[in-house]
Amino acid sequence: MNAISFRFYRLQRKAAPYAFISPFIILFCVFGLYPLVKSLLLSFYITSGPRSRVFVGWENFAFLFSDPDFHTAVKNTTIFALCSVFLQLPLSLGLAILLNNKLIKARNFFRFSFFSPHLFGQVFVAVLFGIIFAPQFGLLNRTLHFFIPGIPADTKWLVNPRLVMPSIILTSLWMYVGFNMIYFLAALQAVDKDLYDAAHVDGANAFQRFLHVTLPSIKPVAVFVMILSTIGSFQLFELPYVLLNQSPGPSNAGLTIVMYLYLKGFEAGDLGYASTIGWTLALGVFFVALAQVRFTRMWKREA
Amino acid sequence: MDSKKQKSGYFSDIFPFGVAPFIIFVLTVISFLWLAIHPVARKKSSLSLWTFADLHYKAYKKLLPSFEESHPGTKLDLQIVHISAVTSRLRSALWAGIDVPDMVEVEISVAGSFFCGPIEDIGLRDLSPWLKSSGLYDRMVETRFAPYTNRGKIFGLPHDVHPVMLAYRRDIFEKQGIDLSQVKTWDEFVEIGKRVTIPGERYMIQFSQSNRAHIEVLLFQRGGGYFDKDGNVILDNDLAVETMKWYIPLVTGTERIGNDIGGGVVFTKSLEDGYILSFLCPDWMTKSVETDVPRVAGKMALMPLPSFESGGRHTSTMGGTMLGITENCKNIELAREFVEVIYLNRDDLADRFRETNIIPPLREAWDHAVFSEKRPYWSDQPIGKLYIDLADDVPPQYTSPYVGIAKAKLGEALSSCHAYYSKNGENGFDDFVRKRLKKAADDIRRIQRRNPF
Repeated sequence: MNAISFRFYRLQRKAAPYAFISPFIILFCVFGLYPLVKSLLLSFYITSGPRSRVFVGWENFAFLFSDPDFHTAVKNTTIFALCSVFLQLPLSLGLAILLNNKLIKARNFFRFSFFSPHLFGQVFVAVLFGIIFAPQFGLLNRTLHFFIPGIPADTKWLVNPRLVMPSIILTSLWMYVGFNMIYFLAALQAVDKDLYDAAHVDGANAFQRFLHVTLPSIKPVAVFVMILSTIGSFQLFELPYVLLNQSPGPSNAGLTIVMYLYLKGFEAGDLGYASTIGWTLALGVFFVALAQVRFTRMWKREA
Repeated sequence: MDSKKQKSGYFSDIFPFGVAPFIIFVLTVISFLWLAIHPVARKKSSLSLWTFADLHYKAYKKLLPSFEESHPGTKLDLQIVHISAVTSRLRSALWAGIDVPDMVEVEISVAGSFFCGPIEDIGLRDLSPWLKSSGLYDRMVETRFAPYTNRGKIFGLPHDVHPVMLAYRRDIFEKQGIDLSQVKTWDEFVEIGKRVTIPGERYMIQFSQSNRAHIEVLLFQRGGGYFDKDGNVILDNDLAVETMKWYIPLVTGTERIGNDIGGGVVFTKSLEDGYILSFLCPDWMTKSVETDVPRVAGKMALMPLPSFESGGRHTSTMGGTMLGITENCKNIELAREFVEVIYLNRDDLADRFRETNIIPPLREAWDHAVFSEKRPYWSDQPIGKLYIDLADDVPPQYTSPYVGIAKAKLGEALSSCHAYYSKNGENGFDDFVRKRLKKAADDIRRIQRRNPF
């Protein structure tokens, strides 16, 4: 190898990694960083489309915190997120434990069956459940009325403001319980069997084994799923938007933060206010996730 | 073997990351080059039009060949865009200045949202000079310009009038010995409703307890609405309060005569089964009903809306479409000529009525024979004439950029009033309705005040 080709070789060795990551860096800067900075700047303006804007400083943020519709959106989204963590995840874990049991026959069939709703996508599921929830002729009302005649057949799941959020949660449970189950199932299968044997020898019963062996062993996955579910819940949009016929539902009962952002930005045309909502949401999610991580570390120390 | 190793060593000197990354790299380069050499072809047309209604699309498509033939060298690009997408797509196109159509049909409930911001940034052309100088303004139903007018400028040509009548199951009422067509006021209608309604089985009318669509029609009928001519919020005036107080008992509790279990297939089934006996029916809806509920053909009839007081208005309005010409349109003359064909040609409007049941806002088209044709589906009623008789009485719908918010606030107020009445009945209801509508109106005013443009 002569001197020139050696220099070329060294240059290539040095430059190649940058060349390989450059597509990502360029795309991230164009489609990630630039919009982020731009939206941060926009959040200090009242806008009407991208051309007309007036600088208002912190007024968008002040207005946001006194905006009753935003309060409703935060309340609805928080309820949904709490249900995701405290209802969906335990159900997913329960299902995973059940389907990890070798006594269950056709486990693979059930695993696929529970996972498959996730394959359809939120829009399809929302359309499907729109029909299932239909008053008088919908599957849910017909079934409930058949078994419990006291429940009227024309129960308006998507019209009665009190029933809208439970309907959304029910739909999301059907969709995501099986999906999260897969994470838990993988974690359960990775738990060292010797630990169970040791606990058994020590006289631990099934519940104690679950509490002192299973839970600590799957904790990293549980934390991961919890944070992912929380972030996903705060980004809820398509499901209620389609389920409620492209609206926030009666009395804004299905209004979520991202839906409010969309309505303000792309239907009302105020990109500035929508950016304010977006940044507030991002900060909110960041702090919630941080709190979750801190909490789980605390849990680890106590353990 | 050695020669293979030597070759591999030579390759790794040039590209040390392996064969697979090299293939990916080559494919990436080829793809970029391919796209660079073959960019997506832009549609070349003299004029483009977006519409959201399938019926409009089909009707216009039929007219394209003759228009293109009579204008040699002209190529029209007609696109159907879903109603939910047309607003966001048009807005994005106007904002970005890319792929803006020359003409676009916009649904009435979202038209106002385009009028936010400085008037020069609206992106649609002011049609008033053309409408006034051509005399077209006087040839059409004047109230239909209201929703498309902002700051004294008209940004849209109305596609329709959409008077509202009451559609009902004639056969069921006749079995009960009731001639509903004789009913003149809502009070008489409610009296009959109390007689024929069977809770859980049959309801007099499709009235919703949470969707503002029906109470909105009634508000318009009484001359109310969301905004006055100058864009001021009037949602909390006495008329709105009275309408809410009248409406809520009709959709609440066991004494109610109205129910709404939804649209689409659910509505079809409820009409077929006689679960709902009547509903507010604008002209466009008659076509959907004919198509979606064929089993009740010959059993349905239409009548003017009962009025709120003797001698009052017997119609209202629901829905609508405007045609706007964008600032992007380079050939205004050609656009106007196309508008003449699709919106103003008497025979074409007659054909359009045959296909859509939509009566045009152009008065001179109304004496066409097609509008007097009897329709077997509607018990041989000449539905075109019935709607035309009401067309000049259609109330104006004044709009504002905040009309979407106003509609949502009315829906919220409706749900709250319903919940209050379910729990407390008449006790304190008047006061509650006033406060709730005031709150809704104040919320809109608060957002309106933020507009610096």
